[in-house]
Amino acid sequence: MTLSLETQKLKRSGYIPTFLFGSLIASAFPIANMLVRSENFVNLPGDPFAILTNTNWQMIAMLNTLIVICGACMMYHAEYADNASQKMDVLPIKGSSIFFGKLAISATALTAMIIIETVVMTWCACHWFPSFQFSGTEFLKSIGFQVIVTLPTVIVMLIIASTCKNMWVSLGIGVILVFTFSIIPQDNTILNLFPFSSPYQTLCTVSGNGKTGIFLSVCLIETVIFALTQIIFQKIRRRSE
Amino acid sequence: MNFLSLINIELNKIRRSKILLILLAPVLIMWFPSIINGEMNFDVRGIPITPENNFFIQGFMGMVWFMIPASLVICTVLLSQTERSNHGMVKMLSLPVNIPKLCLAKFSVLLILSFVQMIITFTAYYLSAFAVTQIYDYNFILEPLYVLKNTVSIYAGAIPMATVFWMISTLIKNPVFSVAIGLASIVPSVLIINTKVWFAYPMSYPFYLLMVEYGKAANGIYSTQIDWIPWLPVAIVITIIALAVSSIGFGATERR
Repeated sequence: MTLSLETQKLKRSGYIPTFLFGSLIASAFPIANMLVRSENFVNLPGDPFAILTNTNWQMIAMLNTLIVICGACMMYHAEYADNASQKMDVLPIKGSSIFFGKLAISATALTAMIIIETVVMTWCACHWFPSFQFSGTEFLKSIGFQVIVTLPTVIVMLIIASTCKNMWVSLGIGVILVFTFSIIPQDNTILNLFPFSSPYQTLCTVSGNGKTGIFLSVCLIETVIFALTQIIFQKIRRRSE
Repeated sequence: MNFLSLINIELNKIRRSKILLILLAPVLIMWFPSIINGEMNFDVRGIPITPENNFFIQGFMGMVWFMIPASLVICTVLLSQTERSNHGMVKMLSLPVNIPKLCLAKFSVLLILSFVQMIITFTAYYLSAFAVTQIYDYNFILEPLYVLKNTVSIYAGAIPMATVFWMISTLIKNPVFSVAIGLASIVPSVLIINTKVWFAYPMSYPFYLLMVEYGKAANGIYSTQIDWIPWLPVAIVITIIALAVSSIGFGATERR
């Protein structure tokens, strides 16, 4: 019931077009890269899909994170703009179920975005690399991995957006976090496990280092911990208001 | 009402917006690690650059390619959202004030905020350069005139981009849509900077200026000359068009 309510709220907010727009821009990176300088990549040794992700995923992941930030801000902007959240508070709905409804929608939108991007990259691999062999399991594994490592970022961003009444504050915090993790060195595993840094990891590099298990489990644990934090936070907020 | 008092009113509106904190935080995040990792500046990885130039370029790089455009986007949100509650925009439009003038006053606030950010960056650079000089006993402090010249040119290079972001935020009423376009437009500048058509993409101007400085400090990294000829006319045309469009479109939905 909450889920359908949350979907209704997004009807004319431009939420789905924003994610579509983001995934189209992100998908343009590998295509543009291959169109302009394919000779740099075609002759590289190794798995074609790995070559494509290594060259393009940093930018795609950054774009995904930025769109996730926009999406979270948009969802809570709709709640705070005309004091809608106070009205929601008097309805017989749990505060946390609103949050989890939003989380479910964000996760779905993110998954759709990553699927589009992976499909485009697979298409690029088929089109430019004659040696490329399409494997369904690899395709699904890659999508699953990227979704799971991006989930902590989604949930943290929703928590930030739910705490700040003014959209520029939550937007500012989100953008500053993206900035912070984009300038720290990429070779530190512990720092890479943090939200806003984990989306930049790709399955091929991580599995090359044998750290797939660590990344998946830590990111899932982070997601659960942040979800619990949000529940506790909601309780405190309800008491204090 | 004269223009200065209009700007004053706009500044008053954002007095309690915490925007200065948002502008300050990334600068601290930028420079604090660069003090801690100061010794990395001696490891130039085969690039012919002096440690003090390396410190300056690396420090400004993150700001220029990501944080300056992103702060501009955040500031446009701030400027448009402060008018949103209680029909502030309708009230402003009902005053006997020239609408393009109102629009330009708001745009000036955007430029002022960006200017404040550059001052913070400039100050932070000198504080951290001083700190690193003390720690490693090596002179990291560059000539003030050189740093000032670069900071000012980066600021000037950000103005066309600011006009474009401002135009997007006045034309697209849905705030999140304009933010998404603004933020998404930052990411490709890394690619566009290396193509021949960089001058048609305002979001890459500050990055370009710093890359040229990098090219001068380290031979062979990037071109050492600014291509004024296609760039300056294009930038001026973009700025004028963007400002004109935003002045016309300002408050269009409210005036309907």
